[in-house]
Amino acid sequence: MLMITRRAGERIVLGEDIVLEVVDIGHGQVRIGIEAPKSVPVYREELWAAIKAENEAAAHAPAGPLPAVQEPVTR
Amino acid sequence: MTQSLESSRFGRLAIDDEAVIEFPNGLIGLGGTRYVLVGRDQDSPFLWLHSVEDPTLALPVTNPFRFFSDYEVVLSDAEAERLGIADPETCDVWVTVRAAERPEDFRVNLRAPILVTGGRGHQVINDAEHAPVQMPLFAPIAAEAA
Repeated sequence: MLMITRRAGERIVLGEDIVLEVVDIGHGQVRIGIEAPKSVPVYREELWAAIKAENEAAAHAPAGPLPAVQEPVTR
Repeated sequence: MTQSLESSRFGRLAIDDEAVIEFPNGLIGLGGTRYVLVGRDQDSPFLWLHSVEDPTLALPVTNPFRFFSDYEVVLSDAEAERLGIADPETCDVWVTVRAAERPEDFRVNLRAPILVTGGRGHQVINDAEHAPVQMPLFAPIAAEAA
């Protein structure tokens, strides 16, 4: 992994149109600003990984029909 | 125009071009940008989001409002603006289903619903408060009564 040291207020440019800015450095966490084109979705990694895992699990559904549900359960 | 797809799960499917949903960013963590909704059974609450590009890729989805009457989708302003979706309620909303042998083990992803409008689809992050990634789809009867 590429390592770059930055101070608060300093930026990193990725390619032509993505900019990351270290907005604030606090106790044990940093606040990062992101400028990216609309075509680029941005996710917190742990949420992205959890959703990826769900999508993959869904795509590996057992063969055969899913259970028919006579009356949907409304909660 | 109609094209034919040899689905590993369903056999030959006739795909109407008009039915193809474009996912500019694909599904999160999965490849492919073109899917269709396939329904096998009118009475089933489950449809399949089937890749047009990969005949082995299909995910069961369902309408979350059918199971969770108070479900809501809340987009951050940045996400709504990025996608050009002012109001998620104007979209068709689907959630992915983690199917299992036993109905009580079925889970749906309320955190990352799929919004479809105008032939385009986006899997989004739902900022609503109670929207778990793994929500049991069928509540145990005992818990319902409690």
